[in-house]
Amino acid sequence: MIRVTLYLLVAGFFALFLGTILPLLVRREAKPIRTVSLIATALGSAFLAGAALPVLLHATTISATPWHLLPGVDFTVVLDRLSALFLLILGVVGFADAVYSFGYVEHCGHPMRRNLLVSQMNLFLLSMGMVILAGTTVQFLFFWEMMAIASLFLVLYDFEGEGIGRAGLFYAVMSQLSTVFLFIGFILLYGETGTFALVPASPLASSEALAAFFCLLLGFSVKAGIIPFHEWLPNAHPASPSNISALMSGVMLKIPVYGLVRAVLEIFELDFTMGAVILLFGATSAILGIICAYKETDIKRLLANHSIENIGIIFSGIGLAVIFSDLGMPTLSTLSLLAALFHSFNHALFKSLLFMTAGSVVAATHTRNIEEMGGLVHRMPFTAGLFCTGAIAIAAFPPLNGFVSELMLFESFFFGLQVVDPLTKVLLIFALSLLSLTGALTAACFVKAFGVAFLAHPRSDRAEHAEETCRSMLLGPGILAGLCVATGIGSFQIFSALGYDLPLPDMLVIGTLIAATLGAVFLATTKIASQETRVAETWGCGILSQNSRMEYTEKGYSEPVISIFSSVYRADKTIDKTWLDPDQTIVAGVRAEMSLVKFFEEYLYLPVARVGLAASSLVRRFHAGTLDTYILYTFVWIAILVLGLGWFV
Amino acid sequence: MNSSFIAFALLNIGFVLLVSPLFMSLIKKVKAWAQGRRGPSLFQTYYNIAKLLRKETVYSPVSSWVMRVTPYVCLSMTVVAALFVPILYVPEPVAGFGNVILFLYLLGLARFFMALSGLDAGSTFGGMSSSRDMSLAAVIEPTSIVVMAALAVVAGSLNFLEIARDTAGRLFPASATMFLIGVSLFIILIVETGRIPVDNPETHLELTMVHEGMVLEQSGRNLAMMEYAGAVKQTLFIAILVSVLMPFGLVTELSVTGVLFAMALFVVKGSVVSVIVGLLESSIAKMRLFSLPNLFIIAYFFSVFTIFTEVFA
Repeated sequence: MIRVTLYLLVAGFFALFLGTILPLLVRREAKPIRTVSLIATALGSAFLAGAALPVLLHATTISATPWHLLPGVDFTVVLDRLSALFLLILGVVGFADAVYSFGYVEHCGHPMRRNLLVSQMNLFLLSMGMVILAGTTVQFLFFWEMMAIASLFLVLYDFEGEGIGRAGLFYAVMSQLSTVFLFIGFILLYGETGTFALVPASPLASSEALAAFFCLLLGFSVKAGIIPFHEWLPNAHPASPSNISALMSGVMLKIPVYGLVRAVLEIFELDFTMGAVILLFGATSAILGIICAYKETDIKRLLANHSIENIGIIFSGIGLAVIFSDLGMPTLSTLSLLAALFHSFNHALFKSLLFMTAGSVVAATHTRNIEEMGGLVHRMPFTAGLFCTGAIAIAAFPPLNGFVSELMLFESFFFGLQVVDPLTKVLLIFALSLLSLTGALTAACFVKAFGVAFLAHPRSDRAEHAEETCRSMLLGPGILAGLCVATGIGSFQIFSALGYDLPLPDMLVIGTLIAATLGAVFLATTKIASQETRVAETWGCGILSQNSRMEYTEKGYSEPVISIFSSVYRADKTIDKTWLDPDQTIVAGVRAEMSLVKFFEEYLYLPVARVGLAASSLVRRFHAGTLDTYILYTFVWIAILVLGLGWFV
Repeated sequence: MNSSFIAFALLNIGFVLLVSPLFMSLIKKVKAWAQGRRGPSLFQTYYNIAKLLRKETVYSPVSSWVMRVTPYVCLSMTVVAALFVPILYVPEPVAGFGNVILFLYLLGLARFFMALSGLDAGSTFGGMSSSRDMSLAAVIEPTSIVVMAALAVVAGSLNFLEIARDTAGRLFPASATMFLIGVSLFIILIVETGRIPVDNPETHLELTMVHEGMVLEQSGRNLAMMEYAGAVKQTLFIAILVSVLMPFGLVTELSVTGVLFAMALFVVKGSVVSVIVGLLESSIAKMRLFSLPNLFIIAYFFSVFTIFTEVFA
């Protein structure tokens, strides 16, 4: 089996490599070469998924060292159960995304760049796969950086577009920041272990190791978009093409999750405090992510903010796992860690599904603003159905997969509350409340997104004339929607097959029962109730015909939540009334305005940027530009070095 | 899935479907008495549903499959949720039936579809109610979850059926802290069923309505299903409240006399709760929408308090 797995891995990466190279060989815009390249993507992803699945199922560990790069630095590929899970995520999402891209790429602007898009997409998948399989820190960093660069090119696909250059720059800076933290972390790790192997022989617990862990945590948090390092996410996602958004949100955000889980499980031995830090990081990201998402009208920004929220949920699960394992409760620790991992898998499925369907909608209506959509359920019925499935999954309703992972997380909280000491209880109740609020707000947010974008009257001409997308753009998300249902219904069986005995409801039984009840209710009503139906205009208080201007808007929909959480939003409401008479009885006109303060931008990013600017303007004074001053600087610096070193020695 | 569980399923679903409309009308009756009117017959809700089933269904040309599917989803989800709540006979829980979180989320799915159907016809009323309902649902959610967590901590299980099996036969719950949970559960009952002071089920004024606006575009058999679902949901929350506060009457062994006794007792217990809800509705005014979170916070703190009391108990 090991041999087959290795062959599959090699074949998968080779296919992705071919997919990267081929489109670059052709200099003109050519559809056949893109088709070949996308077939390579689909095959490569399928091979990788095929390699991962048996490893995941049988919990084997495969390790191979094909090359020795330098003395002490090997090229080692390690595939164990943990990396197999993430490789499976990559394979499944990559496959569906390749299918989707057959149609989608042809909708992208700039025909000349389409070849590049396909090529970079392959490179992106390839580098992510290599990060997952990395056995040494050197490989990890190398492919991590490759992943960052490949995705940066993809974000900049439409670089002349409004705000896209800025989004790309922001993304580049943030991903470099994460690499810097990882770099420092890995150097500290090397200082502790003396090898470049990713996983040391035994978990480290010294204070230096703790510093290393903290650096890695920061690096992973930046890349995963944990608040307050999240700001790049809602900018980069709308900027990139939708098939890439699906990959970035579905797979790339999971790579730091993989890194963190690996660090938590095998590299370090962490204590309660670190667990609490991760849990709080996660819970605040979850709640602030959803609160940011709730106010968005741009469908892709909305989905991007939901990614922050979901990553927050995943981090909470990891934090809980650390807490429980420190308190000596291995079963609870396993439950919460599995919740985090299963949620990573589920999030990859439904978020990619949502990004792809959102991409279809944007391609059909040429707008990302949901207030200009509406009525699409009649014009794009299949896309609407797929989006609705994704919405039910992300809003965590049974029997789909999103519910199961959320249930597992809540159960670990519930069981934990029964056993821990009072102080930990406070922490758990706090995090549990935040996460449950997050869950419910997600449901509200997706009612808004689906309702405003797909239901009722079309809100603009563009939405009026939208048409259903092509088959490939339905099939790609369709695969993911099917998997969302299957992994939800079969969750109990999946976990027993993996050898975990979890206190989970058997969703297969419950799902069957739901289906049976639906059938029974349907039969009963057709038997007893009147079957007459009539079509009549919506009642509008006597108005003869309603139009889209009378519908409830997105702004109106989110107003109650924004008012309730106005202190979080820092919503600034001003209402100016002008009066016809001096006694202020007859209103002539009212102007209402509400603005939301961008808290993190104004209070965190901009101050840091200002300090940076001030520091650089200080430095700038020394750069006069004449040669003799530079020679003087060199002389002074060498003098300082010589004196300093002499003093040290 | 063993035979005793199937018996439980049939009993629970049949009984809930049978008595739910009764409690609906009883609350109306109590309110009428409090206002000095005679009020409708106790069977009025049954008549209403029967009448609606015979009427034609009217759809808006704007509406889609969401409108048509919602009534089925709402009724089915509440009926499935009936298998999670101990009412008469409590079997050994099977396949995770009785899981408190799953129970909440099944009802959540019904609410999700109801909120979507509110937007589907393009009416402003529907959109407004949908927005308000989802916002309130979001704000009450931490409370519901923490109340369930408190229940799980006190009872040592997060399965309604298991909790009920442990306490069945007792007159009062094992731990006095259950009464604290009772307060929170009562507030949740009020919120989930859209009663005053959260929502006014009687009015169709845009200023007050939350729930009613979403079903405004439903008619005929679809409206009947929605109303039936609402009635069943109310009974389920009543059942949770009484099985926590007064588990007496629940049977763990299947016998005809036992079940008949439990039925009679549940009707009495449910009626008492309905009368209290009716009297409460008559005695206070509806709260402003944005002051509602304060009410939820009360329930929240009662349940957090419960969890901490349990540490010292």
